[in-house]
Amino acid sequence: MKEIIARGAESIIIKTERWNQFFVLKWRQSKPYLFKDIDSHLRKTRTSRECKMLSVARTLGVSTPAVYAVNLDDCTILMDYIEGTQLKQIASSLTESQLKHFCFEFGRSIALLHKGDVVHGDPTTSNVIIDIKSKLWLVDFGLSEMNATIENKGVDLHLIHRALETTHWDLQECMLEATIKGYSDTVGEEAKDILSRMEEIRERGRYH
Amino acid sequence: MVLYCLGLEGTAHSFGAGIVTDEGKVLSNDWDMLKPAEGGIHPREASRHHSELGPQIINTSLEKAGIRYSDIGLIAFSRGPGLGPCLRTTATMARTLALKLGIPLVDVNHCVAHIEIGCLESKFNDPVTVYVSGGNTQVIAFAGGRFRTFGETLDIAIGNMLDVLGRKLGMSFPAGPIIEKLAKEGSNYHNLPYSVKGMDLSYSGMLTAAKKLLSEGVPIPDICFSVQETAFGMLAEIAERAIAHTNKEELLLTGGVARNNRLTEILEGVSERHGAKFHRVSPSLAGDQGAMIAWNGILQFKTGRTIEISDSQVLPKWRTDEQDILWRS
Repeated sequence: MKEIIARGAESIIIKTERWNQFFVLKWRQSKPYLFKDIDSHLRKTRTSRECKMLSVARTLGVSTPAVYAVNLDDCTILMDYIEGTQLKQIASSLTESQLKHFCFEFGRSIALLHKGDVVHGDPTTSNVIIDIKSKLWLVDFGLSEMNATIENKGVDLHLIHRALETTHWDLQECMLEATIKGYSDTVGEEAKDILSRMEEIRERGRYH
Repeated sequence: MVLYCLGLEGTAHSFGAGIVTDEGKVLSNDWDMLKPAEGGIHPREASRHHSELGPQIINTSLEKAGIRYSDIGLIAFSRGPGLGPCLRTTATMARTLALKLGIPLVDVNHCVAHIEIGCLESKFNDPVTVYVSGGNTQVIAFAGGRFRTFGETLDIAIGNMLDVLGRKLGMSFPAGPIIEKLAKEGSNYHNLPYSVKGMDLSYSGMLTAAKKLLSEGVPIPDICFSVQETAFGMLAEIAERAIAHTNKEELLLTGGVARNNRLTEILEGVSERHGAKFHRVSPSLAGDQGAMIAWNGILQFKTGRTIEISDSQVLPKWRTDEQDILWRS
């Protein structure tokens, strides 16, 4: 059995069955319109980085799919299939208290990464999965980085802010508040500096 | 009766005037771009350029459209975002004309105008727009009543990056076309920092590294080639992320840097991969010009939105997502 369940910007997500169990095969396909050296470099480094960072994140207390196999030639990763839904898809159908709860948990997960000096790199609500037991998972670690600085962490929060205002414009205040609360409660002291860096980054790219 | 709108654009180095009808016919579109002999654009010099050449450009656009001042039914002007002195000069001309002719004034967001003129030309309904120019690098899409910036540069704009690099390589302004030409002669790729963060990107690290290649004696065509492939690859990735994220089926490329053929080729590839339609806005409507302001003025006027002169102060930091897009809701 093989079923394409998502077509992302840089990969295809295939649900597959092996050993009487479901798995996800994440395949970073080649992009013929890019210069070949850049394309193959990106596909390889992101595949290997994702494998590593899924494990690193787990040691920091964040739920991530376990990796079973990796192939750096065709850039595939075989990992756990999480039965659930993207937070992006269910946000508007949740009650306010459920939504706040998941956003709080999302913020807490990002904080656990940041406390370990890891950034996710693409923390949108597409990369947050709520499983059938209402447990929250983070996926898609291809842009994740170790040895993160305050700047890296500020960018991570900026990306969350950006994702909420573009994708969940009608719920953004409530979602942002709960996410930041979950984040700050977990990070503690340092949160203030990172949040002010986030504001600074938000202003930087703008036409001034 | 046909409604003629005169649109005035003057957010940065170009001043433009265009006449567009309420049916979306572009009757004229004239502009002039300040080209400094050396260095970048000084806001004061640009605003002087606008005030000196503006009246003549407006006259020419009326002549080409074959209409008289008394035929104009609406004045639209670029209220922001942009360089303060340039915006003020342009707004002053617009206000004066509106008062003198006794016709309504409409304020237009420069970035929104780029998207809407692109939609007019391409007949796209709801695209993901890649807007690339000297001052802007944004990936924009319509959601919840506004154009929202899904991704943008975290530091410098792509056109600015190319110009700064070009200056270092001894090229005149604008450097983009020269870099594009030389890149075709380059073939050795040199690694440059590739910096994509979510749907945002950053060019400053790449610029520094590219300047360093020059001091290491790398031939200029190879530098141009490496810079284009890296910079456009990053842009393609954030455009691709925006398409995947929004599930939209059209990709629009606009702004001054849309003239670049290699960038166009890459984004065509992106569209193909996602089954989306692609359109590159033609050069005369992709750069900064008055027709886009006029067309947006008409769209806004049709929803009943005009502005009183007393409320029409310029907005240098007016963000794309700060305006309710009434004509699309």
